[in-house]
Amino acid sequence: MRRTLKHGLIATALLLAQAPAAEAHIVAIRLGDFYAGALHPFTDLQDVLLWLAMGLLAGSLGAARGRWLVALFPLGLLAGLALGARVGTIAANPAIDAVIAVVLGLLLAAGARVPTVLLCVMAFALAALRGAANASDLAPNTDRLLFAGGLACAGYAAITLIMALTLAFRGPLSDSSKDSSKDTSKDWRGIALRALGGWIAAIGLMMAGLAFAS
Amino acid sequence: MIDLRYLRIALLLVTALILPRALFAHEATLGVLEFREVRPGAFIGLWTMEPTVGADRVDLKVPPHCFLRLPELNCGEKGLVGQITIGNLGADMSAALIKIIPLKGEPRSYTISTANPVVTVLGTDAPTIDTWLELAKTYINYGIDHILLGADHLLFVLGLIWIVNGGWRLVKTITAFTVGHSASLAATAFGLIGVPERPLNACIALSIVFVGVEIVKQQRGEIGWTARYPWAVAVTFGLVHGIGFASALAGLGLERRLLPPALLFFNVGVEIGQLAFVLLVLALIWAHRRLDAVLPRWGEALPAYAIGSVAMFWFIGRLLIVLST
Repeated sequence: MRRTLKHGLIATALLLAQAPAAEAHIVAIRLGDFYAGALHPFTDLQDVLLWLAMGLLAGSLGAARGRWLVALFPLGLLAGLALGARVGTIAANPAIDAVIAVVLGLLLAAGARVPTVLLCVMAFALAALRGAANASDLAPNTDRLLFAGGLACAGYAAITLIMALTLAFRGPLSDSSKDSSKDTSKDWRGIALRALGGWIAAIGLMMAGLAFAS
Repeated sequence: MIDLRYLRIALLLVTALILPRALFAHEATLGVLEFREVRPGAFIGLWTMEPTVGADRVDLKVPPHCFLRLPELNCGEKGLVGQITIGNLGADMSAALIKIIPLKGEPRSYTISTANPVVTVLGTDAPTIDTWLELAKTYINYGIDHILLGADHLLFVLGLIWIVNGGWRLVKTITAFTVGHSASLAATAFGLIGVPERPLNACIALSIVFVGVEIVKQQRGEIGWTARYPWAVAVTFGLVHGIGFASALAGLGLERRLLPPALLFFNVGVEIGQLAFVLLVLALIWAHRRLDAVLPRWGEALPAYAIGSVAMFWFIGRLLIVLST
């Protein structure tokens, strides 16, 4: 358990260490377009919240369902980025982001057993949406391949680490072999995850309020 | 062991798709500006190495009490003391060396880079504690940037992690790599050894080809040199990579008296960047284990060939550069 906690802390620290690098443009000047692509989503609250919500939901459903997102999520980001770059900037819609946050939060709070196929479709669609939103900061002189590579790597690393940390938090019963054999949602860890889902839904509601008010 | 192979496949494939762009990752775009004091507080500035962006387009900003219209710089009685920066650092000019030759005392050099866009020019009382702090800030950042942008160094480290497969052996191997590159970095910086940069870059690419071949051997069940003596391979190729690190420092034209601390801080920066990369890879390996996320067996051989292909691409490209000069 201590070993798991240690690994978890390391992974969390690595993830959080990227957050303070707030200005993607400064990063682009200093470290180039790959790192600009990798850090750009962490400068946007919508990306941070929605990626976190999706990772928590997928992780809470167990390894067998969540592991598909390791590949699908970065692919969705790439598809969305390509679409956004090709058809022009697709302005991110705060209302849609807020609704997605509410839905993901409620699913997590309710402990819904989302089927694998539906989870994959949701994750791909969300990633595509956010990938397109990230295309908004592609400047004419941005190396698009490097930016896309950075974004996909960030998506892969973030979703993989969040899902694994969620699984580790839930404990051994969330292993794939025991995935559906016993409902762990009633122990304190499951309750904590569901409470977190409630918070995400609440943040989504506030975002929706702000979006409709402005 | 088996459950990790597909993580490595995924990591290396992603890396292999992106890394060919980094062929010229270490080609710096530098400029060198020399200010020579002709009377107290008055300087004549001259670009001894003009940046590729063009000297006229450099947005040089000097302390507020100074008046600059190149080639003239007048700072009055207060002298040239304070902050100097360049407003338009970027891809066209990643760093500039400012050399100041005063009427009295030793010439001084300051490096303005994207990692450290503002330098503080110190008075004739330097070196002081501020000098050391300034050096630490500049060169730790420069070391971190250099390793993070050095895709070839990171790919080599990734190959070592692949072959050694975690645990104390990995700690020893990475330590051996650190010892190797630190030793050759210091030896090169102090002029004890000297290797031309371009052939060296080709050799660095070859070292990654070697690691790729070792991975293929391991997959075939053969025990290669790296699997048998990982620390020896790491320290040997660490020596080669360290000379490459030194070439980055050499381009900045440091004062000799400031070289030891600058070298130390640069190396600390390189280690910080390398450690962050190793920890990230280890965290992802742990996450894949936790998720039991593995790919089909048919793709097992792809990454080793991808790593070898990318490295060969670099090698051929760098060899062509050597032959064309």
